[in-house]
Formats: sequence, structure tokens, C-alpha cells
Amino acid sequence: MGTRTLVCGAGGLYDELVARLRARGHLVETLGLSSLAARPTAETAVDTAAAALGTVDLLVHVLESPGQPIPLVDLSTDDWVAVCEDPMVGALHLLQACRPHLGPGSRVVHVVPTSAMGGAPGFAATATAAEGIRALNKSAARQWGTDGITTAVVAAAPELLIGPAASSSGGALSGPALGRTGGAEDLAGIIDTLASPDAAFTSGSTIVADGGTWMAP
Amino acid sequence: MSKDLDAGLLGGRVALITGGGAGIGLGIATAMAREGAAVVLAARRIENGEPAAEALRDAGHRALCVRCDVTSRIDLESAVAATIDGFGHLDCFVHNAVGGSVAPGPIEGMDDGWPGLLATTVRASFDAAQVAHPHLAAAGGSFLLLTSAAGMEGSASLPAYAMVKASQRALAKSLSQEWGPAGIRVNCIAPVARTPAMDRAYRANPDLEERLLERTPLRRIGDPTDDIGPVAVFLTSDLARFVTGQTIVADGGGFLGL
Repeated sequence: MGTRTLVCGAGGLYDELVARLRARGHLVETLGLSSLAARPTAETAVDTAAAALGTVDLLVHVLESPGQPIPLVDLSTDDWVAVCEDPMVGALHLLQACRPHLGPGSRVVHVVPTSAMGGAPGFAATATAAEGIRALNKSAARQWGTDGITTAVVAAAPELLIGPAASSSGGALSGPALGRTGGAEDLAGIIDTLASPDAAFTSGSTIVADGGTWMAP
Repeated sequence: MSKDLDAGLLGGRVALITGGGAGIGLGIATAMAREGAAVVLAARRIENGEPAAEALRDAGHRALCVRCDVTSRIDLESAVAATIDGFGHLDCFVHNAVGGSVAPGPIEGMDDGWPGLLATTVRASFDAAQVAHPHLAAAGGSFLLLTSAAGMEGSASLPAYAMVKASQRALAKSLSQEWGPAGIRVNCIAPVARTPAMDRAYRANPDLEERLLERTPLRRIGDPTDDIGPVAVFLTSDLARFVTGQTIVADGGGFLGL
């Protein structure tokens, strides 16, 4: 049986990731972001998806936040809430809802832009949310590790998750060593590997999957 | 007692510190005042902030207290307005206040206290940045956020706190890039210091102090004024004029993962 995978997100990269994971043999159920607004709706949606899968071997939450750059001083409070706070709250609700369905061998993966580590001018709300979610992933690793549950963050190029306007963000001095910023198949391969028992001794760490731009630390 | 207003590393500067009535905020304010800054203690509890401001004035410093609940944008705007009224300009905005529950607990139980924590840290940082920006741009000033090593390595006991403190750090890095061309610097301090909150934690966990000391190479817990305050002085002074987007971990050497 393939890996039983629950994928949550919305957007072009999310759609492609779902297709690529299915192509790799994952049994995939998907979850829209609207269900994450409140804990009860998240629990209902996750329970339904988990029942269809039988259990959750792999949870993938994709923080995709396409947009154009807006200086923080010009951002409305509503936009700040929608782009920064709502995704953080949603990430929390998703983990809370999934916890009863995770067990020994389960893996939790958050896909975020490397802006989490380097910041992102014009996209401060996205970077702020992404780093908060990255910390939540680490805390989950520390709390759930003794139950055999592992976590990881896959940090992708901002271009993939935010858009081309985010290409200059991130505080890195050099471009990608591999000469490209990658795509869904590059990420799917890493996520697939993280779901393997061979990768089970890494937890809470961030795998930077940006073609070799961000190399720190 | 009168002092030369231009003396000290922060002579002539004006700083507003949220949560300035006690703990690390008051320590930062005191250290900045000792280096010549006029300080505004923005405190939710005026009964803490006013005596602290009075003590600073009695010591010959320029200080005032304003009541400020950082979850209220109106309060933040009023605090900045009071700063301008009192001292003419604003050079340094230090967002130190944190509220809501930071009680240890599992991710599954994070609902209680989480909204208050999010409001006082993440939303308040957003509001503070927008409110302070015009004044910091006019002064070529600096914006300082208090973060935590818990946000960098995650926390088994304080997942909510780790989440919001991590997010503030990414905000600081983003703003350092947005505001750098205007000459505004944005930095963070990740402190560990003896505060009223830590005293409460000690009472709840009798072995906590010993565990903290064991993991701290300098074998002591920081003092808000003498250990954390000088880091804020450095970051907001001309000594750090070429430093932005950075975090200084002031914890006695416990966390080395940065």
C-alpha cells in the first residue's frame, strides 16, 4: 500500500504537489484551507479525510501565498490578518485536528518559503507566518517525538510559493547553485523521501529545497 | 538633579518601550536612560509604570509613563503621540510587551491564552511598526523586537510562545530590508532574565532554576537592567549603526544554534 497522505493547501503549487505525490503512489486526500478557520470544522474535515485514508502516514501543509509586494506600512489590518495570522491559526488547527490520527511512523511536513528564515521585503506578512509555522513544526517534533511522530519543514524558493516578485527576497547573497529554483517535482521527491522509514531519524529540521540558494547555517 | 542631555551613548535620543513598567522592559528602559535617552514607559498597568518612571526621574533621567494596552492600536497611537508631545521626537521603538497565557502545555491545548499571545506579539508588532514608522523614518531611528530562543529551536513546553516569538523575528528581518533604505534599523534581542514572570515560573516549578543554571555556561540568569539593557543600548545606539536584521541572544550562552 502506498503512503497514506493528507495534503492541505490551495494554489498552483499545491495542486501540482498533490498530482506528483499521487504519481509516486501516495494515496492522497486533500483538505481546503477554509476548513481550518475554526478547530471544530478542521476536526470534522480531518476526521473525514482520515477515515477515507484509514490512517495518516504523512501530513503535508503547503503555505502558498501568491501576491504582489506591498510595503508593510501600506498593508491593511485585514490583509495582515488574512496573510499572516489566519495561516498561523490554521496551521495550529490542522495539527490539533490531525494529532489523534498520527502515530508511530507518521510524518508531519510543512512546506514554507525560505522567506521564513530570511525575511521578505514586500511580503512581511507571509514571512512572519512562515517562521511562526516553522517554529510550530519544531515544537510538534519535540512534543510528539516520543510517540514516534516526526516532523520536518521543506523550505522552498519564494518564487514557488509567493511568486516571481519575491525572487529578490530572503537575505541570501547568491542565487541558486543549481541554476534554477525548482518546481513541484523537486519538492515531491524530497517529501516522498521524508515519508520513508529511512528518513525517520530526522525530526524538526528544515530541509532547504531551493536549488542551493540558502545554505546557512 | 540635571544632566547633559547629549551625554551617553543615547544622548538626545527618545525611546518608547512597551511593557516598560516592569521586568525586561523596565530593565531596557533603565539602561537606555542611563545612557542619556529620554524614555517613555508604555505600560498596561499604570500602577507599575508610573512609580518606575518616577524613580527614573528621581535618578535624574528624563522619563514618563503612558498607559498602553498593546492590543489596542489606539493606545499605541496615543503612546507615540505622548512621546512626541513630551520629548519632540521618537528615535527608538522597543516592542517588549507580551501578554496572554504562556503556561506550559501541549499543542492540542493551545486554544486558551493563544489569542492574547498572538494579539500582544504578532498583531502588536504589526501595529507598532505602522504607527512608529513615520517617526523612525524622520529620525533615522531603530525598531527593536524582543524574541526568544524558543522560537528558534521550538519548545516542548511553550509551543504557542515559540510560534509567536519566531514569527516576530521574520517580521524584523523583513522590515530590515524594507526600511533599510530609509536609514531605519530593525533588530531583535532573545533574552533570558530574572523577571516577575520567571519568578512565577520558579514558584510553579521548584527545580526550574537549577535546570536553567545547568544549561547556562555563565551559570546565572540575566539581570534585566545590567545584562539585557546594555544589549538594547548597543542595538539602538550608533555603535550598531551598520547592524540590521539581526538577533542577539542574551542568555548566558545557553542557546548556540543561531
